[in-house]
Amino acid sequence: MLSAAESTALAISLKVALLSIVVALPFALALGLALSRLRFPGKSVLEALLNLPLVLPPVVTGYALLIVFGRNGVIGAWLSTLGIQFAFHWSGAVVAAVIMSFPLLVISIRAGFDGVDRRLEAAAESLGAGPWRRFFSITLPLSRRSVLAGCVLAFARAFGEFGATISFVGSIPGETRTLSIAIWELLNQPGGEAGLGRLVWVALLVGIAASLFAALLGRRSQANGAAHD
Amino acid sequence: MSLFRRIGPLLLLLASAAPSRAAELLVFAATSMKPALDEIVALPEAKTIAEIKTSYGASSALARQIDAGAPADVFISADLEWMDWLQQRDHVATATRFVLVRNELVLVAPAASKLELTLDAKTDLRGALGDSRIALAEPGSVPAGKYAKAAFGKLGLWPQVESRYVATENVRAALALAARGEAPLAAVYRSDAVSEPGVRVVAAFPADSHPPIVYPAAALKDHDSAATKQWLALLQGPQARAILQRWGFRDAASD
Repeated sequence: MLSAAESTALAISLKVALLSIVVALPFALALGLALSRLRFPGKSVLEALLNLPLVLPPVVTGYALLIVFGRNGVIGAWLSTLGIQFAFHWSGAVVAAVIMSFPLLVISIRAGFDGVDRRLEAAAESLGAGPWRRFFSITLPLSRRSVLAGCVLAFARAFGEFGATISFVGSIPGETRTLSIAIWELLNQPGGEAGLGRLVWVALLVGIAASLFAALLGRRSQANGAAHD
Repeated sequence: MSLFRRIGPLLLLLASAAPSRAAELLVFAATSMKPALDEIVALPEAKTIAEIKTSYGASSALARQIDAGAPADVFISADLEWMDWLQQRDHVATATRFVLVRNELVLVAPAASKLELTLDAKTDLRGALGDSRIALAEPGSVPAGKYAKAAFGKLGLWPQVESRYVATENVRAALALAARGEAPLAAVYRSDAVSEPGVRVVAAFPADSHPPIVYPAAALKDHDSAATKQWLALLQGPQARAILQRWGFRDAASD
């Protein structure tokens, strides 16, 4: 079985990945909706910026996070006067995971919103439904599978995240040492293969469990959807 | 006949490319060697030996690549452990192995820092750190971090450091944290401190506080050609020595 240090690393990874989705989802829904429904100046620039974390090497993103959110960083210095500090703290690993997985979440959600029949929204509006009601009773339920797919992708990206995390918050046992970082450390030790094999199996199991969970939810929502249609 | 006419020039091209490939050397070297080694490779004397290509990385990653069959001719490791590991696996031309340089472990602070301290059992590292952390290369696996952990342990300072360090992917990342002022202290090699104007050396770790920091070099098995040996000889010659010393490395023969 896993040693205490190994299960701590697993717990940190799960905490960081799950929390990053909770944090990112409201923003991703809002941004996905804006990109799908609105036309505004600078839209393509915004889309390009959004995709930067996919394009840049993760260590560069991590270094950029350090420059912005570090204790001497542009925003970090201001935040630390409020007592909030990301660098070298596990919450910083959540920030890194949010940034790295955000594009995947938004791209999926936007595709889902694009696929919703606009006439249904128009019909709801003509019956007196306000924008919030239209969103929560028409747009969101009809694009739930894309939202779910985005969440699974984002979870996988956040769970496997290494480069940006170690550049931004380093590896502190019990604080920021995630499963990915623990695996990398074992790879750097001669004779680390035994522990390495164990942790890779754990990572595989988590990945498979996440995919199965998503498939199950997808099937159930499909069944519900069929009942409503 | 017409087929040969078509692919003939291609065959000629391949044939002419073959000899120049023989005079090519691939050197796998620890990242910390990069600034010095790039200069040595650019020496006119090096160019007469062969076209020398370099691949830099963590010694661990390079050793695993060689073990997996990477076509390197020469390996320069930042610690003994990975060279020994390769040697146990019979990848090293043992007769060609030698110690290229030594390095020193130092404590650096951001260039603007006013911090003064000496390293001994009475050093108040906690006070120097305040509410921040000391940057170390990962002490379980990265060589610079292993040396730092050993040195703090020998000095009796590890209890102060243990809960107050941030581990980085490699020693250059620890250096960058100090240079950016994110960490008030970092343990790095002298050669790293020399190449980074954003930091200043606060103290050197006593040489007997950690295992000797040596960089072994060797030709790899079945790659000990005449050109490889000439290149290894050049690395030990006076020109290369001068370059290595300028980048903060110490002579292998010292102490």
